[in-house]
Amino acid sequence: MARREMVRTQEVVKTYRMGAETIFALNGVSLTVYAGEYVSIMGPSGSGKSTLFNMIGGLDRPTAGEVYIDEVDVAQLDPFELAWLRCRKIGYIFQTFNIIPVMTALENVTLPMAFAGLGEDEARDKGARLLDTVGLGQRLHHRPAELSGGQQQRVAIARALANDPAIILADEPTGNLDLKTGSEIIELLCRMKEEQGVTVITATHDHKMLAASDRVVWITDGRISRIQSREELDIQIGAIETRKT
Amino acid sequence: MNPRCPEITGPRDGGGAARRGRPILSWRRTLRMSWANVRNRLGRSFLTFLGIAVVSAFFMSSFCYQRMVDAIAVGADVHARAALERAGVFAHDPESAQRQRDRRVWLMALSVAVCATGIANTILMSVTERVREIGALKCLGALDGFIVRLFLIENLFLGALGSAVGALFGYILAILQVGFTLEFGLISAGSCLRCLAAGGPIAVGAGTALTVAAAIYPTYVAAKMKPVDAMRSEV
Repeated sequence: MARREMVRTQEVVKTYRMGAETIFALNGVSLTVYAGEYVSIMGPSGSGKSTLFNMIGGLDRPTAGEVYIDEVDVAQLDPFELAWLRCRKIGYIFQTFNIIPVMTALENVTLPMAFAGLGEDEARDKGARLLDTVGLGQRLHHRPAELSGGQQQRVAIARALANDPAIILADEPTGNLDLKTGSEIIELLCRMKEEQGVTVITATHDHKMLAASDRVVWITDGRISRIQSREELDIQIGAIETRKT
Repeated sequence: MNPRCPEITGPRDGGGAARRGRPILSWRRTLRMSWANVRNRLGRSFLTFLGIAVVSAFFMSSFCYQRMVDAIAVGADVHARAALERAGVFAHDPESAQRQRDRRVWLMALSVAVCATGIANTILMSVTERVREIGALKCLGALDGFIVRLFLIENLFLGALGSAVGALFGYILAILQVGFTLEFGLISAGSCLRCLAAGGPIAVGAGTALTVAAAIYPTYVAAKMKPVDAMRSEV
């Protein structure tokens, strides 16, 4: 069965200049992520993990090579089209939650819908439904300051899902959460993948993520060092811990 | 940015898969969001508010004071003239009157310049405080134009509010000043209202314009910020 390609990077190179030196943050990365997959990008800090992640999210332009998101070459898009892409196609989740602090949970979730031009009543209903899905049905009108970290991250997930994106990009989504809350967030992401059929791509060094991923891409020194599939992972995780198969 | 693709906020013709929508927020929601920002960031907002209120009060008090003294001088019965002479606030020759006016204008200009820099600095700080928020907005699909709109409206609110409160304060100050240097009995209700009607709109209008002008550079900085900055965990 031919699977639909969601994200494809082709020999992506990203260089930074640091004084006289040129640093290769990414040095020829080719990666294809298929629709409905849960892919984790793993790697130590400084490995180029975040850079690759930003490329996939259309947040940064490659120095060389191409990035296709849903068959669209990101480099060819103007700012207006990029904004459209970010609004409709991609849902972002951050390590630091990045909920708009002056808005209630519901307002945060309906904001991207408003950007997408959805009517206010419709947005409110949909936002309430989404918040209910992530388990915050009772906290629609709370502000971020009145929510715990895990709850804020749930709001962020609901917000990421606001415009029924094809891809959810999560950058260290469990990085600022304790073990239990982190696991809950991972579970929620998995559920969203199953229920909504979105492609989930996370950058992480949280090993709990491994169990949830369909594939794990390891990045070292700006290159993909190996890609592990589900089957390989199960064996490995089974060997390390007897927690989950 | 890509020089081939200038910033476009309106709908355009032509193909491309990504051209069906227009990620722009309605004015009503933008206004509400700006207002929420002003209300919820009272500390930072208050500094901007205070800055513009001080300069507006300064303008209003000197403007109204001058107007009221002039009004009394025009009426100029013996009693009033004596009060003016006693206080030494009324210049007999046009040359020294001109000198007084010049000095006031110079002081005014100086305080406006100081105030504008202060306000610009305060707003710039609030922009850096909100890097993540701005980045998140951009990730959600906000265009540069929206960020500009948001920040300018926020400061429009602050400028209008601050200069109105400042003007009122300055007005009361002017009346008290005239009352204490001359006599409260010399102030007529008519001249009071006239100088409020003349000075108020100038103070509020100029104050608002000044705040918005001071906000232009910080707003530009905010709008040009890259969404990648929001992704960074450390700030």
